[in-house]
Amino acid sequence: MPLVLDEALPLLPRLRRHARLLCGDHARADDLLQDTLERAARKGALFHAEAGPMRQDALRNWLLTLMHRLYLNQRRDAREALHDSLDEDDAPQPAIEEPQQRVALRLDLERALAALPAASREILLLVCVEELSYQDAARVLDVPVGTVMSRLSRARERLRLSMDGAAPGRPPLRVVK
Amino acid sequence: MTHDEIDIDDPTLHAYVDGQLPPERAAQVADWLLRHPRAAQQVLGWREQRDSLKALHRDWLDEPVPPSLTAALRPPAAKAPRWPRAWAAALLLAVGLGAGVAGGWGGHAWWTGKKEAAEMAAAAAASRAAGRDPSIPEYVRDAAIAHAVYQPEKRHPVEVGADQADHLIQWLSKRLGQPLYAPTLRDYGWKLVGGRLLPAGDDPSTGASPGASAGASARTSVGAALARAQFMYENEAGERFTLYVSTGASSPEAPVAFRLMQRVEGGQTTRSLFWIDGKLAYALSGNFDERRLRVLADLVHARIGMIARASSAPVAP
Repeated sequence: MPLVLDEALPLLPRLRRHARLLCGDHARADDLLQDTLERAARKGALFHAEAGPMRQDALRNWLLTLMHRLYLNQRRDAREALHDSLDEDDAPQPAIEEPQQRVALRLDLERALAALPAASREILLLVCVEELSYQDAARVLDVPVGTVMSRLSRARERLRLSMDGAAPGRPPLRVVK
Repeated sequence: MTHDEIDIDDPTLHAYVDGQLPPERAAQVADWLLRHPRAAQQVLGWREQRDSLKALHRDWLDEPVPPSLTAALRPPAAKAPRWPRAWAAALLLAVGLGAGVAGGWGGHAWWTGKKEAAEMAAAAAASRAAGRDPSIPEYVRDAAIAHAVYQPEKRHPVEVGADQADHLIQWLSKRLGQPLYAPTLRDYGWKLVGGRLLPAGDDPSTGASPGASAGASARTSVGAALARAQFMYENEAGERFTLYVSTGASSPEAPVAFRLMQRVEGGQTTRSLFWIDGKLAYALSGNFDERRLRVLADLVHARIGMIARASSAPVAP
């Protein structure tokens, strides 16, 4: 059963929030969502799902997949030395705005989330906010389930540390596969 | 931990928090947590975190979606159909345009044998319809694309490295059905990085057409006609050029001549010099000026000729 584009309309507010939390910036988020929807409109023929209760979830996952792929491309474009790091967790962390005088800075959740490495933010949003299963999150991000698990575990710890006011530590040593 | 404990690892605890365990297993974990306050504390923290993330900006869900976003969902009926491999199409187009400005050295009469003039005219018309310069053989475009794709590659520039040069040349020669040579250019500051096997494009005018040089055809098999080789060289400064070799595009009476094709992409100009030598057609591509490229092409051509003569010379009595 092919995609009827109107089926995506009820999903837009959710996708828009997802994009905003992902980008941390409303204008960039709307650009990302727009690109995602344009791509969906072009590639609609590639979406296949049975009619039924699962169809809406499948459509959401498909749109999330398109969005996260575009988001990854943006990050790659922004980072010249793509070959230097295929492991997204090694990406340089965005600087946290830290007023020098306050040592124990307690970031509120939104800012803490925005300050996480992109890969950590992605996995927390997919699993905790969108409540995807680990398998679905793995498909959206195009990584193995094991990677979803390790990223999730790291992301939770990082978020906890930044919420506790401790500066997020150096990224853990990379596991050579 | 007591000896009768079931093993509950971290991933299981995460899955428990995220509601991804089957009910039986979840009950087991809940039971286990009762006896492990430290782990329970951690699980509680994760759960709080999850709940607060889930509640983050629920207010945004009630905002009206701007029409520009809903409009993005409309099918792009008015737009031209997209190529499935957009990047390849973009490259091909750029190649075609670039070829238009490239000066033809000595025209292309040498390329077009009179015998095949009619065939070539038909192919040329088709090429023109596709927005390409028919005087540029397809393999040169393929060479430029292969150069653009692999030249910037840091991790996997080649399939087989120069440390296995003998194997590389044997293998590619076998696949192309012709003896290939990757000349040594160390004295000019260029070292071989390695090479790779590439598939030919699917254009029928590639030169693997049955009309080309009947009898003396370079094709030894269908597979060989479809195989191409790319060798990559690099100098101390990290600059690279690639030598692309094709079979089938040749004809025995075609004289050796260098022709230039160039394309500009993102401010970077890739130039390809191409020529035919015996049964093989070559394209040397680099991001240098024409003069440097010409020097390299002369050098490569001369060295290949030397090696070829040396290896085909009859053994002295």
